[in-house]
Amino acid sequence: MCAARIFSIAMIPLLLSCVDARASSFEAATEQVKAQLIASVDAVHPGAEILLGVQQRIIPHWHTYWKNPGDSGLGTRIAYDLPAGATAGEIQWPTPERITTGPVTNYGYSNQVTLLSKLKVPDGVAIGSVFSVKAKVNWLVCKEECIPQEVDLALDLPVVLPGADSGRGSPLIEAARAGLPVASPWRISRTQSDNGLTLRIQGLGQQSGFIGNVWFYPDEWGWVAHSADQPRHISGDTIELQLKPGDAPLSPEAHLTGILAVTEETGGGSVTRGYSVDVAGSDKAPAKTTASEPVPASALLLALIGGVVLNLMPCVFPVLSIKALALIKHARQDARQTRLHGAVYTLGILLSFLVLGVILIALKTGGAEIGWGFQFQSPLFVLAVAYLMFAVGLSLSGVFTMGGSIAGVGSALAERPGYAGSFFTGVLATVVATPCTAPFMGAALGFALSQPPPVLLSVFLSLGLGLALPYLLLSNWPSLQRRLPKPGIWMDRLKQAMAFPMYAAAVWLVWVLAQQSGINAIVVALGGMVAIAFAAWLYEITKYSGKTTQRTGLGFSALSLIAALFGGYFGVETSASAVAEPTPEIADRHWEAYSSARLKQLRAEGKPVFVNFTAAWCISCLVNEKVALSQEAVIDAFKQGGITYLKGDWTNRDPEITRILAEFGRSGVPLYLYYPPGVSTRPVILPQILTPEIVTQAVAASLGPA
Amino acid sequence: MLINRFSQFVLASLVFVVAVAKVYAEPVVNQPAPLFSAATADGTTLNLADLRGKTVILEWTNHECPFVKKHYESGNIQSLQKQAAEQGIVWLQVISSAPGKQGHVDAETAKKLNAERGATPANTVFDPEGSIGKLYAATNTPQLFIINPEGILLYKGGIDSIPSADKADIAKAENYISVALKELAAGKSITKASTKPYGCTVKYAG
Repeated sequence: MCAARIFSIAMIPLLLSCVDARASSFEAATEQVKAQLIASVDAVHPGAEILLGVQQRIIPHWHTYWKNPGDSGLGTRIAYDLPAGATAGEIQWPTPERITTGPVTNYGYSNQVTLLSKLKVPDGVAIGSVFSVKAKVNWLVCKEECIPQEVDLALDLPVVLPGADSGRGSPLIEAARAGLPVASPWRISRTQSDNGLTLRIQGLGQQSGFIGNVWFYPDEWGWVAHSADQPRHISGDTIELQLKPGDAPLSPEAHLTGILAVTEETGGGSVTRGYSVDVAGSDKAPAKTTASEPVPASALLLALIGGVVLNLMPCVFPVLSIKALALIKHARQDARQTRLHGAVYTLGILLSFLVLGVILIALKTGGAEIGWGFQFQSPLFVLAVAYLMFAVGLSLSGVFTMGGSIAGVGSALAERPGYAGSFFTGVLATVVATPCTAPFMGAALGFALSQPPPVLLSVFLSLGLGLALPYLLLSNWPSLQRRLPKPGIWMDRLKQAMAFPMYAAAVWLVWVLAQQSGINAIVVALGGMVAIAFAAWLYEITKYSGKTTQRTGLGFSALSLIAALFGGYFGVETSASAVAEPTPEIADRHWEAYSSARLKQLRAEGKPVFVNFTAAWCISCLVNEKVALSQEAVIDAFKQGGITYLKGDWTNRDPEITRILAEFGRSGVPLYLYYPPGVSTRPVILPQILTPEIVTQAVAASLGPA
Repeated sequence: MLINRFSQFVLASLVFVVAVAKVYAEPVVNQPAPLFSAATADGTTLNLADLRGKTVILEWTNHECPFVKKHYESGNIQSLQKQAAEQGIVWLQVISSAPGKQGHVDAETAKKLNAERGATPANTVFDPEGSIGKLYAATNTPQLFIINPEGILLYKGGIDSIPSADKADIAKAENYISVALKELAAGKSITKASTKPYGCTVKYAG
């Protein structure tokens, strides 16, 4: 009988012959860890590529370590001693877990782990000989205290003729492969500044909302502070992970590699899958900005110029020209009062920009990924601004006027006695300016958004100052005022002409809305505009009538306005969910849509069936389809076995599928069922994480060698 | 004037944001090392600020940790301590093991252990609450910090370059501390000022 060198546990009759008494076994155990050397085959062919594995079974509360052990600890090491000409590859590390002890965070494994390595058998091994693999395995196992341990393991594999059965090997190998990280299906990029490292995962589709946990495990110590939180910001189909640099921060040019572990809550419990990450660095050094450095003057100057240019934007110009017209009208006013109006107007703009900046910072720290015009990611906001533009346009066209004034909304505000009017003109100018900035100022504001809050705020305030500047100059320079043209009928004409840019802006916004919420949103938006126009017209014609008519008119226009707003709100909401329906993939499909009738029919015929219950928002489902179910090997296996592949889409919580999920004790997807051939066979439930081998083996097991 | 007040407000909020962003949690090389005062093995209270004017080495330790044993049983740390003492450097062992946890010792035991091992630190600092350890973000035993006479942190990290519990690796490894001591003696700055520590997790309370 052979004994393992350390604490022999194996009184198992060995398949392998014992050459001498000191030879190691394929198994060895310490007080905390039971280790065994396993292979993907029972025998090897010359030239074969096989997988070797070392499995560690660890007693509860203890753990061994990943290649990057985190703040302390030591990764497991395997030194293979192989026959001449054979080579073993690097360890293929499964996705680790986080082990936190007070302020210290480690990356490792508890309960059990299998460390796989590829092995190439040399072509020249003699048939009938024994290919013997020896492994010296060295690990640190810790609970509170840590114990370094080392075992020697050995496994003898007979060399058989090419073509001869090499056996199934250990089932643990396949289980281990399911725990390996897979290639990421998403676009992953990084941004790096002195303030930290941001990992951006894009292209999650609708799945981002269903993610339970995300953690990035860096391959090397020091790139990331291991015990620091990794706050994540989800917006749309993008997740941003905020990583705090560790004691050996990554240079901006270097590759960032590691594993992104994503945990998803599914009906059958939570599923964690690792995705390998390799993000190239940037070629150029990052913009060097820290909170303590002064804001680059050029950025401020650019923002100021940008602000001045904003005055010419189709959305802003009408509002401002009205303001300027008012100035012309009051040209004979007291100069001091005019100046004060200019100052208050500037204050209105600056405060609005400050509020915008603060909201941006709050959103940035709170989560969402944002850009300038971030508000426009909300279809409701887009609709509201489109309505506003349209209403201002109507007012400029003279369809209605606010109060007793003959001018429009902007003018009403501008002409409001006192400084409140000037202040709100500033606010209005900022509100209408935002949609126009998106296309023109994107780059400059993109810079500001990537900056720390003080820089961001200063850039915003410069932009606001630029917007306010022309009017501010005008109000402070009587000589400039004198050069303005004399008031006259042209003012009214100009005002009316200005309505058209407003209508054009509304059209553009409706187009944006259509892209966000689908074609139906156009009907909602345009219908709402008709209602608004009606409200405006009704308001205007009844305004100068008797009290009762005036009230009735006002009531009906209010009703019409409410209809527009509510109709818009609910219309856009429903059409947004309508557009979210997944578009079915027709091309090259090797599956049929699931229905219980179809399943029953196939079962009655005794045909084998593979059923996949999936949903567009389920990450594991889509990854399994990508890495396993759409692989050639699986499609071939289905074809050869005459297996019908049914796919049930649970994206919209189909009650028929809900019932069958419940039958199998599940409350959600994924669920994979394989019904072997035969009328009354029991279905096999496959695991929630698939590899091509898991599927093909499940299928092969039932079909049998017959 | 309203505008003036407004700009004052903006300025004040900017200053506030910058000030908040300046606060760091962990010790940073080339920045002042955190100050502490604590009980020691010789019964006195040691105040780090009192050691201004001298170079100080802090060595986090736990005599039961296999990685600490590796460097004491091989005599590696003892010879570093001697080398440091010859250069007039104050070598302080720091024990952050909480009561009841591995490596927690009283003053008598600490002295006895050092006598048995032939270790000659200037003193042993007790940190049973783990507050000094957390101040320095110490995660491992052994883990070392070097502070210059002006109180600036010059080095933080491990003892050498091969993370293992095997004494045979010591000769093959680059001994970061020995190199740093030589560089200090030559009046040079430390080339590798932040390295990866390896070893057992510091046995903090909780």
